[in-house]
Amino acid sequence: MILYHGEILNNSLQDKIIASLGDELNNTLAKGYFPSPFEVLEAIKVIYQEVINHKYDNIILPLLKQYDIPESMFVHYASLFSPESLKRKVEIELGDYLNLPSKLDNSTIRERYPLGVLFHIAAGNVDGLPSYSVIEGLLSGNINLLKLPSGDNGLSIMILKRLIDVNPRLKDFIYVFDVPSTEVSSIKKLADLSDAIAVWGGDLVNKAVREFADIKTKIISWGHKVSFAYVDNYVSDDELKALMHSLASSEQLLCSSVQGIYLDTDSLDELSAFAKRCFDIISKENLKLKPSPIAAKGKNALLFYNEILERKSAKGLYLDNGVSVIVKEDYELEASWQFRNLWIKRLPHEKIVSVLKKNHDHLQSVGLSVKKENISVIQNLLAQAGLSRITKLDQTSRMIIGEAHDGVYPLKVYSRIVEKDISKL
Amino acid sequence: MSYRYKLFHLKDPYKLEGTDDLFVKAMKENCLYQYQHCPDYKRILDSFHFDINSLKTIDDLASLPFIPTLYFKHHELYSMPKKRMIVKATSSGTSSGIKSKIGFNAGSLLLAFAMVRKIFAYHHIWSLKPTHFIIFGYEPKRTNQTAISKTGYGFTFTAPPLSKDYAIRYVDGKYQVDLENIKNKLIKYSKGKAPVRTLGFPAYTYFLLRDMKEQGIFLKMPKGSLITIGGGWKQFYAEQIDKKAFYALVKEVLDIDEDHIVEFFGAVEHPILYTDCKAHHFHIPVYGRVIIRDVNTLKPVPNGKMGIINLLTPLVKSVPLLSICTDDIGILHDEKCECGLNTPYLEIVGRVGLSDIKTCTAGAEDLLKEMKI
Repeated sequence: MILYHGEILNNSLQDKIIASLGDELNNTLAKGYFPSPFEVLEAIKVIYQEVINHKYDNIILPLLKQYDIPESMFVHYASLFSPESLKRKVEIELGDYLNLPSKLDNSTIRERYPLGVLFHIAAGNVDGLPSYSVIEGLLSGNINLLKLPSGDNGLSIMILKRLIDVNPRLKDFIYVFDVPSTEVSSIKKLADLSDAIAVWGGDLVNKAVREFADIKTKIISWGHKVSFAYVDNYVSDDELKALMHSLASSEQLLCSSVQGIYLDTDSLDELSAFAKRCFDIISKENLKLKPSPIAAKGKNALLFYNEILERKSAKGLYLDNGVSVIVKEDYELEASWQFRNLWIKRLPHEKIVSVLKKNHDHLQSVGLSVKKENISVIQNLLAQAGLSRITKLDQTSRMIIGEAHDGVYPLKVYSRIVEKDISKL
Repeated sequence: MSYRYKLFHLKDPYKLEGTDDLFVKAMKENCLYQYQHCPDYKRILDSFHFDINSLKTIDDLASLPFIPTLYFKHHELYSMPKKRMIVKATSSGTSSGIKSKIGFNAGSLLLAFAMVRKIFAYHHIWSLKPTHFIIFGYEPKRTNQTAISKTGYGFTFTAPPLSKDYAIRYVDGKYQVDLENIKNKLIKYSKGKAPVRTLGFPAYTYFLLRDMKEQGIFLKMPKGSLITIGGGWKQFYAEQIDKKAFYALVKEVLDIDEDHIVEFFGAVEHPILYTDCKAHHFHIPVYGRVIIRDVNTLKPVPNGKMGIINLLTPLVKSVPLLSICTDDIGILHDEKCECGLNTPYLEIVGRVGLSDIKTCTAGAEDLLKEMKI
């Protein structure tokens, strides 16, 4: 399925459409119009009302069931897309850009323009995420070309089609293609038509995109990020229990999920004692939670057993009912096995910058719990190392309207400033 | 005569009754050899404080430390000089891209041939009728050491070969999938009288047959033709195709009945040949034993319960493959089987690690995999 001028068409027409797309995009740009964020918000408002009035329950409810998401959580997340929330997002992200055009000096004005054409290579880990990426592009006025991730269930195309139905002026600003990644030449053509490529993926994907993208095309990378917890021995039992709930709710699959815990110490003895305490608390708490899927438990049980063979001992390794804790003596930031597996390492706060800075491009959230007098100092060290979100221990995956995405505001990243001489006007 | 030799020369490959004692003795005999000749294996057994002399009954085998196939991907465990390993094979590396490297000495291979001879005889695989072979796998090359390519080649000796065609051909220094050629060969052979035998991943076979159906190509393969599949159904999980649908497709496109579709299961780390019966069950032959382990504790679970598949055999002497743990999840069934065998049978349910779970970047990582950059 592809979406072209607001119509859902068969994939067989794709090559033909891509071949003539360049002229069409130029024609759209030449008309001089691009949607304002508030025009896009008006269209989203209609769809939001339809969602909360259960118009799409036949699609949404099975998805919630498939991924075991409580309806209450969906309602919470849906509220992030309410017109009020998105208006706030626009106001915060575009900030002073919203007051443009404005004078730079007596003869020059500054005006906000979109980058032009954005090509989105979206991840498929969250249903509908590709459409969210496009909506961000639209809110900043861009023409959006979306390559659907393989295995997309059609939700994104449905949302974007509805958006065009509500506001037909958006039809020249949304194109969705179902290009298999094997068709490198088609992907390259789309990339060549774009001013920027928004990539949702890790280093290897970024490398692949850099290889086929022209040097003049800007690459805007979202991910892959790693998040962790940073604590000292003052962390309370209740905080660790709350962390367990947070691990279980995302199964550590998100960029913002805690992968491991750094303890503010350089002592291996303190590290061992903390790991034991932490495991006792979280493994008990885990019994109150819905278990991980059997295949995930099996994977981690085998990895755990393999770790015993590799280490030649079970010292510092804890596993019970699908929760595992691995004590490691090095300082390096790494991903966990996910599905309720935590590494625990030492990291005295004096070493935060020197240890973490080399991962600056991968750092995202940190759940922090240290004694009150150290909070400011450690928050500052973590920020200097490259972290972009410092939260309570269990809140790394929380969502707040208007928060930055990996430390920047997408709507601003997708915009540019044009300065115009007005002296003869 | 060693216990291993006796075990692999038992007359009936599926008469499990009364063989436990011999199986344990063969395992103990091989375990002692591995302990004395493979330092890494000795270290593993010692780290678990395992006493080989504690192996007395079939139930004691559960306490023999197993080695996950994952471990073989990062360690080469050999119990004899490499020059004595006349066949080297690797796993296909489907789940991680990293392959296990296993070597087989002549003695182990001879026992394996004895096993294959009897199992194929039981399942009526041997034939004297000249046959066209179609392998949905790699054309053999000296540089390709995957076990699957070696077994594919070996399979072409189950009947006098009239021709051998491979779906993945070695052209200009690299492998290329050429299903079109296979399709044309199937069309050609369907017009003749000689039977056709296919072997390969079920997914490849399935995709070709599905395309043929879409193109309206329906054939009647010569009498005695056989579809054999091996290498697991893992590629099918995303397709949500069950075995029954596959059998129906084979019947529809090639006019081959379900009783002429045979599936094999095995692993390079556990080279025992599991062949499905007419009810499509993998009965446990006398040469191996299966323990299903709990996903939380890795302790054995009763038959009928799902868990991680642990496979045991004393077959191989060159590498300590006595007890290995796969990344498959399965169930060992005790139920009576309509084929008449009363040994337990293994049902492979899936793989550990959730192929359908996607992390933040997994969707986009598809791009990379598909682009092969």
